[in-house]
Amino acid sequence: MNIPLLAARNVTRNKLRTVLTTLGVAVTVLTFVLIRTVVAAWYVGVEAASKDRIATRHKVSFIMQVPKNYADTIRQVPGVQAATWAQWFGGKEPNHEGEFFATLAVDPKTTLEVYDELVVPEEQKKAWLENRQGILAGDVIAKKFGWKVGDRVNLVGTIYPGDWQFEVSAIYTAARKSIDRSTVYFHWDYLNESLPEQRRDKVGWIVSRIDDPGKSATIQASIDQTFDARDIQTLSQSERDLNNSFLGMMSAVLGALDIVSVVILIIMGLILGNTIAMGVRERTTEYGVMRALGFSPRHIATFVLGEAFTLGIAGGAVGLAIAYPFVNQGVGLAIEENMGAFFPYFRILPDTAIAAMVMALVLALVAAVIPAWQASRLRTIDALRQVG
Amino acid sequence: MSTAASSAHASAGITVRDVTKVFYRGKEPLTVLDKLNLEVTPGQFVALMGPSGSGKSTLLNLIAGLDRPSQGSVQVGQSSVSNMADSELAKWRSQNVGFIFQTYNLMPVLTALENVELPLLLTKLSGAERKKRAQTALRVVGLEDRSTHYPRQLSGGQEQRVAIARAIVNDPSLIVADEPTGDLDRQSADDILTLLTKLNTDFGKTIVMVTHDPAAAERANVTRRLNKGQLS
Amino acid sequence: MIPLRYNARSLVRRRTTTIAAALGMALVVFVLAASLMLSSGIKKTLTQSGRPNVAIVLRKGSDAELASGVEKAHVALVSAREEVARDGSGAPLSVGEVVVVITQEKIDGNGISNLSIRGVPENVYAFRPTVKVTEGRPARPGTDEVVVGKRARGRFKGVDLNKAFELKKNLPVQVVGVFEDDGSSYESEVWGDLETVRRGFGREDGVSSVRVQLTSPEKMDAFKTAIEGDKQLQLEVFPETTYFEKMSEGTSAFVNGLGITIAVFFSIGAMIGALITMYASVAQRRKEIGTLRALGFSRSSILFSFLMESLMLAVAGGVLGVLAALGLGFVKFSMMNFASWAEVTFSFNPTPEILVFAVVFGGIMGVIGGFFPAVRAARVPPIAAMRGA
Repeated sequence: MNIPLLAARNVTRNKLRTVLTTLGVAVTVLTFVLIRTVVAAWYVGVEAASKDRIATRHKVSFIMQVPKNYADTIRQVPGVQAATWAQWFGGKEPNHEGEFFATLAVDPKTTLEVYDELVVPEEQKKAWLENRQGILAGDVIAKKFGWKVGDRVNLVGTIYPGDWQFEVSAIYTAARKSIDRSTVYFHWDYLNESLPEQRRDKVGWIVSRIDDPGKSATIQASIDQTFDARDIQTLSQSERDLNNSFLGMMSAVLGALDIVSVVILIIMGLILGNTIAMGVRERTTEYGVMRALGFSPRHIATFVLGEAFTLGIAGGAVGLAIAYPFVNQGVGLAIEENMGAFFPYFRILPDTAIAAMVMALVLALVAAVIPAWQASRLRTIDALRQVG
Repeated sequence: MSTAASSAHASAGITVRDVTKVFYRGKEPLTVLDKLNLEVTPGQFVALMGPSGSGKSTLLNLIAGLDRPSQGSVQVGQSSVSNMADSELAKWRSQNVGFIFQTYNLMPVLTALENVELPLLLTKLSGAERKKRAQTALRVVGLEDRSTHYPRQLSGGQEQRVAIARAIVNDPSLIVADEPTGDLDRQSADDILTLLTKLNTDFGKTIVMVTHDPAAAERANVTRRLNKGQLS
Repeated sequence: MIPLRYNARSLVRRRTTTIAAALGMALVVFVLAASLMLSSGIKKTLTQSGRPNVAIVLRKGSDAELASGVEKAHVALVSAREEVARDGSGAPLSVGEVVVVITQEKIDGNGISNLSIRGVPENVYAFRPTVKVTEGRPARPGTDEVVVGKRARGRFKGVDLNKAFELKKNLPVQVVGVFEDDGSSYESEVWGDLETVRRGFGREDGVSSVRVQLTSPEKMDAFKTAIEGDKQLQLEVFPETTYFEKMSEGTSAFVNGLGITIAVFFSIGAMIGALITMYASVAQRRKEIGTLRALGFSRSSILFSFLMESLMLAVAGGVLGVLAALGLGFVKFSMMNFASWAEVTFSFNPTPEILVFAVVFGGIMGVIGGFFPAVRAARVPPIAAMRGA
């Protein structure tokens, strides 16, 4: 037996209360982890964004197009290794009307060069490149729609009206988190040829890969410079900034979630503080006895803090033990499957788990500071007098 | 306890000189002890009796170093208890005083052995040594077979014996007991008193005991009566 | 029955734990009320300008105005239908508008964001009588003047009264007025001249959408059948109310889902807090409870008394939480509307239903959290009165 152990032993005194407190802290830890995971999942796109990619689009609005031949010009800009283009198609799967997913008309060959994290079996890759009506679909969306390689499928265009016939040529997975697994890619040529003359040869944006991520800002500037005198000016952003600007529009939600995270921590602190304060009040006599035996005020404070620490650890550990299967095997999988376009990666990050544990411990200690101080300040004879 | 006889401070004398203790109830001063003098020779077993509010517990607290007098001095062995700072007092108590309370005051979450070991946590002794000493103390009170029991699994008399073991485990020169038999039946009370007498005669401990019980007072060498803050 | 005063005083006497537990409850109720208020605010903002007798005509298959396009010739054709109401001069009550989204730098330094621009025809104020220019003056038709919605002003660079910004390069516009529409999503837009916006964004060939006011809501079906039945047009018709509801669905469901999930988790934590407090209260008052039993109070009256005490605790917390949530009425909340890809500013909309629901929710938490301790209290035997505390 030693002093820290003695402190920890005190949690066994009122078992029901200890169990309840542990559960209370565990629930708040779980909630905290869940909220932070939502926030983290939002930032995954930013964090995982490739540093060596730049997106260039119409300066005025993302709904306006740039000429396809801008891609050729961009390839000439020093530092640019490869460039490809894409057009937002906004397709809908007739059997899954409410499902949101990205449908992009792209240039297949250069897309695979620029997005080298797309993992496609060699055989399927070849098939997709050769089939003008071929689709390259993410494994998550393919699974949801029940698509298999070789299937003939229909998509309804929201921006380009009509029924569009495709064949699923290939299914990709992602080597990195920088790309979601719910996108449908098809040949831009197929779209372009079906358009009336005056709408042809325009694309939504151009993505280029650069040789040195450190020069990203310079290269963005020189791309935009190149088109400055043209009719259509461009706005180039690193993939990271692009994802960030989407987050910017959700910043109020993220801010609200931050506030909610703080609120949950306050609740956690209240639960812990309440339990600790009650324990201290009930044990006044004992502290008096210990003081009489020669334990110092500092020892008494240590007992209270040690007990709080134990509660914090227990609550944090139980909370994480629930949170991991709950999020990583339960909610997370469901979200990745159903909302993959928004949250391609919804898992507890190690940082989140560590933060939750640290917060539980810190809050336990903070909540114990006042009771510990009060307990240590008790006059020995007053504390003993409470005997009865 | 085998080392007790050879210990340098096996027992201590007590000199209480001109001690006054005033409490304030609100702004109203209340003189509990009034210029009180008391001499206890080393190895004496003193019983303090008196009606409620006579100040006997207050005197005991002053001797045990739980409180300081408003005026006057308290000397225990070589130590001037009334002049020490709180932290010095705490250290002094842990080395020189053994406490026995009316309500035993054992820690409910600790076993009998761990309760006895508690004061030794303040020493630099190794874990094994602490355990050995605690076991020795439990043997002295005749409860070595109850060492793994928790307080709630013991009878009142047994609890008080564990408390006595706790009081002697650090080999103090002074034992203070506040109504040690107050919550016990006659038989258990007699056992406890026999044990205290043994500590006094066999181990030479100085004992100061507050009691209401004339049978308990009889076991002491000397009985002093307090009335309205004065010894009679 | 044991007087409620007894419970109230018990709570006051143990004020530290009472406050801790009530604050926990208050925070839960606050979060719940705030998310419901926001979700209701979103619905209100996005749907309130919908009128049942107005139909919106979009290109078939396009979900929203932004993706839609209606040819010029078809605008006239749609407006000429007999179901469409006419003004005093016999002109149809209809507007064809162009909606675009531009990228604009934000004032708060948070980078760039999307701003909705609506190119409106001359008769727009007649068509939407709730829209009022409250500062400055309306834009003159055929010029590069614009008016900005009350909630869009001051959020983007240059988008404020008597300032100027560029719709695109070399197309500067002057802000000459600020309009209000009782908090609808129009207030987050900039309205410019139809022709100016068309020219600027290469939409000379048509408009994004056509809205027509029908002679009565009952004509909706006939109008819809007629327009959608004409395969040449490839157009789709929605009652404006339905369209706006569809627009708000995703965003408000998102906020609702997130908020309610969080509140449910929170409530478990707060209930445990109440449970701890009430258990401790029962443990400390065994002697008191025993005395009450000895005096002849029944088990059920003890049970009820402790349930009431827990309920009081929770309702006090709940009222506190709701009051705090009401304070959010002054907060403006800007986020992307999933349907328009542009930022829309919402406010928290406290309805009596939400406030009552939130307090009731808190009360239920209190009753659940207080139940087991109350049972324990009811089991205290009268003999406890005789024992030590």
